[in-house]
Amino acid sequence: MQPKHKSVETKYMAERQEFYESLKRLDRRSFLKVSAAAFGAAAAHGLAYPFSFQPVSVAYGAEPQGESGSFRFAYISDSHLYEKDINDRFVRALMRAVDDVNNMDPQPDFVFYGGDLAQLGQAKELDLGAEILGNLKAPLKIMVGEHDWYLDMGEKWRALFGEPIESWDHKGVHFVKLLSIIEEDFWTARKMTPMQRMRTVAGLDNGLQRSFTVGEQQRGWLKEDLAKYADDTPLVVFSHSPLYKLYKNWNFWTDDADEVQAILKRFKNVVVIHGHTHQMLTNRIGNIHFHGLLATAWPWPYAPEGMPELTIEMARPDPFNPQDGCGDGEVRVHPDGLVDKVYNFWNRNPVTVGRAYTSSWGKEAVPPRPNRPSY
Amino acid sequence: MNTGIWTTIVGVACVLLVVALWTTHANQVAADQGAKADEGEGQKVADSHMDQWKRKNPQEVDDWVAAEKERHAIQPPADNSDLLKGGQGEGHTYGQYTERDLLMWARETEKMAVEGSRIFHDATALGSTVAVSCDMCHPDGANTHPETYPKFQPQMGRVALLRDMINWCIQHPVRGERFEPDDPRMRALEAYIYAQRKGTALNYGKH
Amino acid sequence: MSERADGLRRRARRRRLGACFGGAEVGRYGGSVRRPVLGGVVAAGAVAVFCVLVAGGQAVGQVPQAEHGAASMAYQERAFEALLGEVDVTAVPVGLDPVVWEAFIPADNKMTPARVALGKKLFFDKRLSKDGTVSCATCHDVTRAFTDQRAVSEGIGDQLGRRNAPTTMNAALLQTVFLDGRSPTLDHQARMPIINPIEMGFADGESAAKAIGDDPEYKKMFAEAYGGEVNYEDMGRAMGAFERTMVFLDSPFRRFLEGEEEAISADAREGWRLFNEEARCVSCHHMNPSNPLGTDNRFHNVGVSARHRDFEQLVRDGVKALQADPSEAKLEELALATDMSELGRFMVTKNRSDIGAFRTSMLLNIGITQPYMHDGTLATLWDVMDHYNKGGEANLFLDGGMEPLALSEKQIDQVVAFLFALTDDRFAEENRRQMDQQRAKAQKDRPFRDEAMANRKKLAFEDRIQK
Repeated sequence: MQPKHKSVETKYMAERQEFYESLKRLDRRSFLKVSAAAFGAAAAHGLAYPFSFQPVSVAYGAEPQGESGSFRFAYISDSHLYEKDINDRFVRALMRAVDDVNNMDPQPDFVFYGGDLAQLGQAKELDLGAEILGNLKAPLKIMVGEHDWYLDMGEKWRALFGEPIESWDHKGVHFVKLLSIIEEDFWTARKMTPMQRMRTVAGLDNGLQRSFTVGEQQRGWLKEDLAKYADDTPLVVFSHSPLYKLYKNWNFWTDDADEVQAILKRFKNVVVIHGHTHQMLTNRIGNIHFHGLLATAWPWPYAPEGMPELTIEMARPDPFNPQDGCGDGEVRVHPDGLVDKVYNFWNRNPVTVGRAYTSSWGKEAVPPRPNRPSY
Repeated sequence: MNTGIWTTIVGVACVLLVVALWTTHANQVAADQGAKADEGEGQKVADSHMDQWKRKNPQEVDDWVAAEKERHAIQPPADNSDLLKGGQGEGHTYGQYTERDLLMWARETEKMAVEGSRIFHDATALGSTVAVSCDMCHPDGANTHPETYPKFQPQMGRVALLRDMINWCIQHPVRGERFEPDDPRMRALEAYIYAQRKGTALNYGKH
Repeated sequence: MSERADGLRRRARRRRLGACFGGAEVGRYGGSVRRPVLGGVVAAGAVAVFCVLVAGGQAVGQVPQAEHGAASMAYQERAFEALLGEVDVTAVPVGLDPVVWEAFIPADNKMTPARVALGKKLFFDKRLSKDGTVSCATCHDVTRAFTDQRAVSEGIGDQLGRRNAPTTMNAALLQTVFLDGRSPTLDHQARMPIINPIEMGFADGESAAKAIGDDPEYKKMFAEAYGGEVNYEDMGRAMGAFERTMVFLDSPFRRFLEGEEEAISADAREGWRLFNEEARCVSCHHMNPSNPLGTDNRFHNVGVSARHRDFEQLVRDGVKALQADPSEAKLEELALATDMSELGRFMVTKNRSDIGAFRTSMLLNIGITQPYMHDGTLATLWDVMDHYNKGGEANLFLDGGMEPLALSEKQIDQVVAFLFALTDDRFAEENRRQMDQQRAKAQKDRPFRDEAMANRKKLAFEDRIQK
């Protein structure tokens, strides 16, 4: 008999019981998919999860029964490292993310780093980041963020990590890595030193800098690179800035987003995965599905305007836990090129924004809404 | 000797004596009352900030306010132009306002918010030992919610005001030394945060 | 600013600030000013009698023993009476907010003397265990701070459990009960150990009710208290009601909050300031007029379980086991009888964010409820401070609020001094004894101390990721 005094825990127990009852009603194939550790597998089949808790995705625990042909990569992003002696917190967070990814079982195909490895582009910061990321078991693909670039315009970056623009193929999917944080020269006229330039760009709300662009040259490169691929090629584009126009003041913005999107328009399914925004962010413009990456260093608040309708916000981070709203994650890429994006929050349940959600324009597989929205 | 000189000397001595007594008295009063930072000290701090800034930005010595506003958007203070209209205001000194009055008030009010913006965006000014400034989590003062204070914050063990939360942030994420409530830096930060949230309805206790 | 000016300002502020929660805010992290005089007198009397009974008895080694290391039930009952004396069970305990107190009493179990008396009889009754050797008071021993002061508890057949028994003192104000919060109320929790195979061992509630059902005394008391027969449900309610009388809030710290500056030492005062500031304790150990317990009632992974085993593998095994059989019975079994107990709250909610998480410990009377943590592996409060000073133990689910604190030895001593000031005056003698014992132990050995980590020279996770 249930105790009459219904506490949160009793409600929890009842819900949990109900959920497992509902599991038993599913057919076996669906049950296997749902009961597996990765939530994403189920979301892909459009199953809704109205309950207040989710089945567990435990440190990327047991391998989900994904469709054949799908694969996973992990991501870590926006660590904003200072030297260890200056700020231990950011360093510790990146190490934690590396630990998370190293404990994925099985290991992902590769690990993608979304940019802003350093905070002020210092050689020591980049070296430290490279050293920590060097402990990853899986191969690393790494992208530039504005914090990495504007001290020396990429000199140290190239020495450590090679060219900032790249494309490669993996299991039938074409990956492109862009340098989308190019800003028009605002520093020469003001006679800024490199550090002053870096500090200006490092301020998200600093109005002296210019908007991010991909730029004509790179757009040309992109067009050429994509020319040899058919329209139904699965395409994933990595960009530090969101390749659309969300909020200019914080450079959640790419000035030539329309031109870039035009280049991508002919493909059946395009996924853009971007850093810079330090939050859960989802958008879809035509054939392009946009997903944001979590940061390890700190979460950003949501922009006061321009928020895409598809975005289900992450719950407002609790300041009393310095790692709330931070984390890392993984992306499961399906054969058609669409992805299930898993936000692996530290000290929170993971949230998956799945293929079904973006395909259905937000009607199916809706992720849970936050109880603490931003305001 | 000329009486004039003696008079002058005695006069100066008296003035000095008065000044000495006054200063001692003022210090005593301050100590007895558990002083808030007195104006002289506050001015010194602001002056030192100014000097440092001037040294860093020799090309912009003339208008630090404009320079800061160029870097960071700051909401302007309220529009008081209604006060210039006629009606009951005319006919007595305390009801009459001029455009220059409004300009000066706006200018002084704004400068406090602009100074706050400067500190808000500067880890060194905040006394951070980990190179963290407020804007790293609160661009443009976002997510500061000054309209929700006072509110009981269990992790602070008390009903908190905005300045308590600022101090908590300074002590923990920023890892600096807490400010005294009347520290000019604290006052400026509050001014900036309130400025950025201009127009939002008060809602004390909202978590 | 001079220290004197600082102190003057603080005192002035204390006097100036207005009332909240029915009293004036005292100091920066204040409390109520209302000072019940009568309570103080009664407390003093109880201290005297209790000290004679317990401390004196123990000193001479004459406390009569029951099984499993507990004091005899009769002795405990007398000691309990000496502690509390005459209490109006329907009144709000002194110093607590009446509205908040009411919210903690279930609607179907209002406090009446009959219910409390029944609960008391049940609490000390060993017939509620399969082999007749264990009562609630075995592990929640009146003479041992209402816990057993052991790392893990011992049940029927001398079986050892896996978790430290929390004290029942002030447990009425907890929002959930058990270290993993799987019980919503005291009423519910009181029933659970009775059917736990390791603790009291009955197969089910009916068997337990039958074990005492023939007793005419019980028949009468159940009828009086709940208007029905002897039954399992009401057993829990009665014991819950009894536990609600175990309110022990009269510590030196309380008197300090009420304005008596000298009630705690200068070190303890500084410890209280550190608690709220650099040491960050208050982030999870909430201490305020509405919630004086020193817990936020939430669940955090601070790394204690991760220290002793391959946590990640355990987590994977736990997930698999629960997916195979998600019933409540299986949960109880796994939670208590196997290594999966270390997964804590996760076993209850299956939320990944709860892996390895246990409820923040209550801090009241912490000085006498050693050893510490969910598995009792930290023997002294200095060990606890060392654990937190280095930022806990790194693991994949560590609470993000755990940070290396870089506290100096002196600061650690000050926080510990503060913690010892949280013990109710009625246990002052025991508290002093514990403080000496723990200090001696800490001076000999500090196994959890790690200065490099505490001072952020070495970082958590650094060793874990080294290739």
